Parts: sequence; structure tokens; C-alpha cells
Amino acid sequence: MVEVDNRVPLDWDALEVGEVFEKFEYVLTQQMIDEYRRGVMDPDAAFPTISHKVDVRQFNARYSDNGSVNARCAFHCYNSPVPGKRLTVTAWVADKYLRRGKNYIVTEAVSVDEDGRLIDRVITHELKQPWEVGKKWEE
Amino acid sequence: MGGIVRSYSEGDPVAPLVKELTQEAINLFEGSAGHPGPSQFTDEEAARETLGTSGTVASGRMSISFALEMMRRHFGSSVFNHTGTVDLRFLRPVRPGDTITFTGEVTGTSREANGQKVNVKIEARNQRGDTTAVGAGSAIVPNAYLAAEE
Repeated sequence: MVEVDNRVPLDWDALEVGEVFEKFEYVLTQQMIDEYRRGVMDPDAAFPTISHKVDVRQFNARYSDNGSVNARCAFHCYNSPVPGKRLTVTAWVADKYLRRGKNYIVTEAVSVDEDGRLIDRVITHELKQPWEVGKKWEE
Repeated sequence: MGGIVRSYSEGDPVAPLVKELTQEAINLFEGSAGHPGPSQFTDEEAARETLGTSGTVASGRMSISFALEMMRRHFGSSVFNHTGTVDLRFLRPVRPGDTITFTGEVTGTSREANGQKVNVKIEARNQRGDTTAVGAGSAIVPNAYLAAEE
């Protein structure tokens, strides 16, 4: 069966700051936590949620583009997630800006667990011309 | 909560944190969220297509994770995991084989409704001395942990 791509091609000019994406839910398993901790080489790492990239996940589910480079990321800790609990993520377009001829999109997301505990907030600035940066990195 | 245990002043250093990046670590990080790839993080061909680079790069979120660890070690998990923040700008890629050193220094404190906010500047450098990320972090330390004001 062929998968149909229902995503909308990204039109940076038309993108509206404040657009809220469909809520995303997932269960954070102990296995996810263990793999994350091994990846970051920190047995006490408390926020494996960051590897789930939940702020851009719903953006990428809605829009198709040429990829991106993470230019800036902010993370706010509130309560470390508990394994086995369902997390609900609300993500939105927080900002967009043009700098040195390059387009940036800022997404923001808040995660809450099934008991209503606020888990974290993540804000990411993505540069939407990844090859421009890659070219510079190779110089 | 015990007695008075902490004080924070401008210029206080934060103990550095050193991480040696491997492709296996990157794969574990990506795979932990169900994104085993191929992507610019896990696969050289995907990196070439998306970024035009000759090899893979680590997600900036791995650097965020390392900065969170450095800050948590400094402030303690009981404080940092509830009030901590990290905000980094990524200046250069971190690649498999790189050794990244994170450093921090207290830049100031301010009174908040729920304690004392301690601000820290953060920098990450690779083994060549190039800065890969700069930014800031903070934690709000409850007054119960601090010396009483005179």
C-alpha cells in the first residue's frame, strides 16, 4: 500500500504565528528512558522528553519542507516524567523571523502527564535552509 | 531540608562537563524517541542530502541534554529538575568523534517569588577549541536552602 503524504508544502510567508497543532500523545516507556540515558551518557538524566522533539513533530506532520537545522533551543524543567505515564503535548508556532536572508521558524511545546503534572517546555528556532549552514560547516 | 547549605555569587564557576560523542551515542539518542533514521543524525547519505555535509552531526538537543546535566550537578536535582532552564544557540556542528567540554559561570542572582534565581552563562567547545554552542541557564533556588538575609 502506498502511503499518501497529506502534508502542506511550507509557505513561510503565509505561516501564521500562533498556529496551534493537533495535540500529540505518547507513553514514555522505561526502555525509552534507558536508551536516552545511554545516549547522553548520564544515568540520572531526568528529561528524556527532549529527544522526542515534540515541538517540531506536529509541525513536520503538517508541513513538508527541505528540512532544517536547529539554530537555538531552550528547555524549561518543571517535573521529571514518570515511566509508563501518558504525556500530552501541545505545540504551536511561537514566532518566525528573517535574519541575514535566512528564514527561521520558532516552535514551542508544553508537555503534561496524565495526572496533570507539568513536565517541560521546549522552544526551538529552526533555520529552514539547512544546506546553507551545511555548506558553511564544510568550509 | 537541613541547614543552610548554599550561596551563589557572580563569577562562581560551574564544574565543567566533558562528553565524547560517538555515532552509537547519537543513534541511541535518536532511537530512544523512535527515530532510528535514516536522518542527518544517523546516516551519512541523509546528511549529505539534507545538509550537504560529508558526515553525520549530533542533534543540538544532545548539547541541551549535556548542559542540563552540568546545571543539574551544580544545583542538585531537587532544585534544577523543577526550576531549571537552558537556552543554547548552536554555532558549529558536533560530530561523532568530537569531545565537547561544557563550562559555566554564575552571572548574577535576582529575587523571585519562590526563591533566588541564579543565572549562568554556558559555553561548549570542541577538542579544537572551537565554540559549538553558547547560551545561558538558570535555576530558582528556594530560600530554605540559602542563608537568611541580615
